[in-house]
Order: sequence, then C-alpha cells, then structure tokens
Amino acid sequence: METTAHNIEQTFHSIGSSTDWIVMVVYFFFVMFFGSYFGKYNRSTKDFFFGGRRFAWWLIAFSIVATGVGSHSFIKYSAKGFQYGLSSTMTYINDWFFIPFFLFGWLPIIVYTKIRSIPEYFEKRFSPSARFLATVLLLFYMIGYIGIGFLTLGKAAMPMLPKSFSLLGMQIHTSLMGVIIVIAIITGIYITFGGQTAVIFTDLLQGFILLFAGFLLFFLGISYIGGFHTFWNLLPTAWKLPLASFNKPPDFNFVGIFWQDGVAGSVGFLFMNMGLIMRFMATKSVDEGRKAATFNILFMLPLSAIVVGNAGWLGKAISVAHPEIIPPNTSPDQIFVVVANIVAIPGVFGFIMAALTAALMSTVDTLINATAAIYINDIHRPVKQYFKKKSISQKENDKKELAAARYSSVIITALGVVAVLAFKGFPTVYEAHGYFHSTLTPPLVVAIFLGIFWKRFTPAAVMTTFIGGVALMLLGASHPSILIHPFDHGIHMNAHHPYSYIRALYNLVVCSVVGVGVTLANSKLEQFVKATIKSTSMAYILVGLSTLLFVLIVSDFLPLSILIILSIILIALVAVTSSYLIEYNPEGQTTGLTIWSVQKAKEAFKGRKINDAEGKKVLVNWKKKDVEDGVINFSKNDMEKMAANVGDLVYISDKRKWLGGLKSIHSVYGEPHNEDGIVYLSNEDLLNGVFIKGKILEAEKEM
Amino acid sequence: MLTFSDTWLPFIYLYGVGGIFFLIGMIIIRKSGAINLNKKRHKYWYRVLIFGYFYFVLMHALLISWALYW
Repeated sequence: METTAHNIEQTFHSIGSSTDWIVMVVYFFFVMFFGSYFGKYNRSTKDFFFGGRRFAWWLIAFSIVATGVGSHSFIKYSAKGFQYGLSSTMTYINDWFFIPFFLFGWLPIIVYTKIRSIPEYFEKRFSPSARFLATVLLLFYMIGYIGIGFLTLGKAAMPMLPKSFSLLGMQIHTSLMGVIIVIAIITGIYITFGGQTAVIFTDLLQGFILLFAGFLLFFLGISYIGGFHTFWNLLPTAWKLPLASFNKPPDFNFVGIFWQDGVAGSVGFLFMNMGLIMRFMATKSVDEGRKAATFNILFMLPLSAIVVGNAGWLGKAISVAHPEIIPPNTSPDQIFVVVANIVAIPGVFGFIMAALTAALMSTVDTLINATAAIYINDIHRPVKQYFKKKSISQKENDKKELAAARYSSVIITALGVVAVLAFKGFPTVYEAHGYFHSTLTPPLVVAIFLGIFWKRFTPAAVMTTFIGGVALMLLGASHPSILIHPFDHGIHMNAHHPYSYIRALYNLVVCSVVGVGVTLANSKLEQFVKATIKSTSMAYILVGLSTLLFVLIVSDFLPLSILIILSIILIALVAVTSSYLIEYNPEGQTTGLTIWSVQKAKEAFKGRKINDAEGKKVLVNWKKKDVEDGVINFSKNDMEKMAANVGDLVYISDKRKWLGGLKSIHSVYGEPHNEDGIVYLSNEDLLNGVFIKGKILEAEKEM
Repeated sequence: MLTFSDTWLPFIYLYGVGGIFFLIGMIIIRKSGAINLNKKRHKYWYRVLIFGYFYFVLMHALLISWALYW
C-alpha cells in the first residue's frame, strides 16, 4: 500500500497471488481460443464486420452485455459507488427515453438502406462533404472511446502488478502507459484474427461470465460484511439513493450527468456507437434487433448496474465498519480490485479479475472492429474509387479489403493507446469518460438526430452544425465561466476540470440552434445565394475565408466578444457556401433515409413490393444444386405454408435453436418444385450457412 | 441532512425532461407511420414502449422510497 502525494489517496500494488495469475492466464487463452474458432465464419468483409446478419435476438442481447458493461466499466462505477453510493447505477437506468426513436427510426433505416457506416448515411442523406466531416468526427469519437477503454484496462491491472520488477538484470518500473501498451498488443492480436462473429461469440460467453462474476463478488462481499441487513445499515442514507444530488458536487451531480449521459450519451450510444449498431445489424431481422435492444435496456442494464457498482458499495460499507482494512481515502479507481481481493479467496479473485479485464477487452475489440469498418467504408473505398484503380474480381477485392481491415485494426489500436494521453490527467476514469462524451458526441448526435427525424434538415444545415457548432463548442471550452455558466443549473465550476458533464447541454444547444436556424432560413438563404454568389471561384474564396475564421477561433487569442462575432460570420459563410456548392435533391435524398419514409426503405431493401401475408415456418432437408443463381428453391406446398411468392426474401437456418442463427443464410425464393420438405441450395449457400449434411433446416419468409 | 434536491428533484427532472423526449419520440413514430398500430406486431411494440417508461419510473420511485424510509 502506498500513499500518494499530499496524503490524498492511497494506492495499492502487488495485490493477488500466483494462483490468481495462473487463473487469469488460463482464462485469457481460453477466451482467445474460443474467439478464434469463430474466425472461420468470416468469408468476406460483410462477415468480418457484420457477422452476416444472421443471429437470434438472445444471442445479441447477451453479447451486448459484455460490450456495454466493459465500456461502462467495473472500475469507474465501483469508484463512483465507493464515493457516492447506489447513484452509480443512474447511467444504466436512463436510456429508455430515446428508445422509440431508435427502434422505429434509426434501426430500420440502417438495416433497410444497407448502410455500412454512419458516415455513409451522411453521404446518402446529405453530401460527400458531410460524409467527410462525419468520418473525421466519428473517428475522433471511436478512437477516444478506445483510449478510455485502454485507460480503464491499465488502471484495473496496475494494483495487481508490482511497483517494479527486474528483467535480464534491468530494474523496470511499472508505469500506466507501459501496462496499456502491453494490453493493446494482446487486444490487437485477438481482434485482427477474429472479426465480428468471433467478437459476438466471445462477448456472449463473457456476458454470462461477467454477470456471474459480478454477482459472485456481491454475495461474497455481503457475506464478508455479515449479511445484507448489516451492509444496508452501514451505508449512510445519501449512499442508498439511486440518483445523485441534483447539482452538487461538481464531479458527480445528477443534472450534469443527465445531459451528458442520459441525453448525449444515450443518443450517442444508440445512434453513433458503430460497435453497438453493428451488433444490432448482425441480428437476422429488424424485429430481432428490436427484441435485443429492448431486452438489453429493460433487464440486462439494471442487472449490469449492480454487477459493475457493487464493489464500490461494499467498499464503502467496509470502510465505515473497518477503516483499517479499507481506508476511506483509498484511490476510487482501485476500489474494485481492493474489495475483490479482500472478499474473495485466491483463485476466485483471479477469476473475477480475468472476467473484468476480458470484458474490457471485449469492449475495446468491438470498438476497434467498428472503427476498422469506418476506415474501410469511408476512407479506403472512396479513396480507391477516386484513384479509379484497375477493376478486379469481387472475390479478389474482398480478400484485399479483409487484409486492409486487419492492418487498419492494428493502426487503430496504436492510435487508441495515444488517445489515453488525453484522458489520463482526470482524477477518475468516470470523469474522463464524462468529459469525453460531453465534448465529442453533441455535433454528431444533433446531426444524426435531425437528419433522421426532420425531412427539412438540409446539407447546408448539417455542414453548419458540424463547423459552426464545433466553433461555438470550442469557445465554450475556452470560456466556460461565461458561455456554459448560464446552462449550469447551479453546478459549481471546478477550475481544473470545468463543467465536465453539463457542458454537454451547452454543446447540444449550440449545435441544435445552428442546425435548426440554418434549416428554417433555407428559402431566404437560397434567394441570397442566387442573388450574390455569381461563380464557383467566388464560393471557394468564401470557403478559404471560413477556414481562416475557424483557425482564428481555434487559436483563441482574440477577445471573446470578437470571437463570438467571428463565429456568427463563420456560420453564415458555411451556410452560404454549402448551399451553393452542394447539389441536393430533397425528394431523392430523404426517401427511405428519414423516419417519414421507412416503408419505402423496406421496399427498396427487398427490391419489390412487400409481402405482409402471415405465413408459417417450415422444416426442410437440403439438397445441393449445381447452379449459382442467387435463389433457393422450395416445393410449391412449402411456399404456400410460408405464404411466400417467387422473389420474396427468405431466412433459412439450422433447426437447432441454441445455435442462435450461427448456421444460417438470407436468400430469395426461386421457382418452386414438387418435392415437399426439400430445399435446393447452391454450393455458395452451403458454404455461407456452414450447413451440415443430415441436419434439418428451418425456413421462414422474411418479407 | 438530505434536502429535496438530493431526493425527489432528480427523479422529477429525470422523468419530466426525459419524459418530454420520450413523448416526442412516441408522437413522431406514430405520425410518420413508422409504427403502424393496425399491425399486430407494431401494437405489441407500442405497448412495450409505454410499459418501459413506467417500469423505470416505478423502479426509481421504489428505490428512492426504500433508501429514505427503510
């Protein structure tokens, strides 16, 4: 045990025994082997990133647990649980407000429009320039998220490691960044050879283990303290409340966290987190995606809140009863490891730590996989298209892209390590994550939200939201006592980390005002553009001027009043130039891309009118056909049972439910035959579905 | 000494302001036709959405009461 500078916090080293380390190493090898086994299901980038859109809702719901719990880690919630009690759970139980928008807006749009990344949506809905800016912002967001994951992993591992050790005669001091680099190498190796299917199955396993480990720790801790009644009575009343105090203290207050996590974070998590979105896109249908999301928020998140925070509550109760065992000034970010070590015997402690770190790795893996998807879709392919490389076969192209996806995963992992530097100065991981969400999510959250739910939202408005909104956000960051203060709900400003959470409200408001304002002024803007901008070169001069203004605002050496005026001029210039330079077809670029035309997106997905007639599922044996015609053939009677017509979409899977759709494919109904109970599949279908001879398949009409 | 702003104010703010977002969402999905209450499956989802909101209201109300009075 060590007391850090100024006697503020006590930190720990060399916690755990050799038995714990053996358990951890065995667990990691098991998980890596388990994940790499499923690498064989990746036959293309579609499989590598999206798992082939085949899985059952329950499989995805449980696999999301590891992702969600990992990202909202044991470390940060135990820290807040130790400092403030049960209110550490509040961020897990505030996601329902935006679920109608997600289930019936964003989810069907991303599935039916076959969008592979969020920036791609921006191109279809607005313009390539909007896609470019969205890509830049999203990459910042995703790499920052990976950085937070690595920081948490490093903080989890530090208390278990010695202060220093000798290697080949050299004395090496254990540093946070050193630990993070080693962890990043292990994580990078796993994701590079796994892919989305591997991540889903590893997360599924880890979801179960994580819940088990979290509850095991809770029961061991309660028994250590002397029963639930003793535990409950040891906690001060304020520690028992599920929501934090309204506006104090600055490092953990309800209203700031509501806007940072409940609004920006929830929308960001559901609408922007490509890792999570890709998981929903891996479900076999939109309805299965809805089930997975609903089950996760209603049941898994409240359970996860207990799993991740209970070590902090136990730590508080022990520190009240036995301050000599857990001093009240123990470093909050270490409390999870300290409590787990006290209440669990050697070996069990190793298992709990392995479950924690493996879950964190799952989160980071998912994010790296998702960021690689953004790289391939939004940088690699457009750049290749721009340079018009010689055409190659689809198969060869897929092979090359799969290799590029793997290389990019390695580079993204390295960038994630660099991103840790931006967050390691915060007192706790929780505050670092809160600051990160408040700062990086608002422009994208506002742009995606208005793009999906407001048909009138224009490319000029989205460009201005990105550029003008970010300029105003930067001003807020530089002058919080003036600009963020009116939104602070009475929260005291901490001079070192001003308004870590409530800045989200200011950022959301400025981005929304800019976006809504430019949209409402669209007709006047178009008249103005027609009357004043006479040539493209004039428009480009204004773009240059806008860039100069943005640089002036970022450099922040002028008085605030002038910077505000410059920001307003910047907003006007971006709106005018975007309105002139971006070609926009309001009808064509909103159809199927906003909630107001989801049905059309569904029809476009199918390629013909939707067949809504309710049919039944049928069980069939498969036979191989020699032609690769892109359809599968059932008997006439079986098609009648399914209420299906030729050209409708069909989903066919191995009958064994517990496989969760791992062995399955989507296809199209071809011309029927007369052999009831038989389906004819091509060689490609058999390879994609990994169907086994003699195993019965279950088929159902998709639409 | 706990005050109103420590106990019930966060609850009222959460389900008041959050409730406004939720209500807007419910109105938009109905008005846009994204949810079609003539379809059996959609009617089920509509009920699930409303249930979810009150499920969390009840959960937090019980937890606050439990903390204060038990």
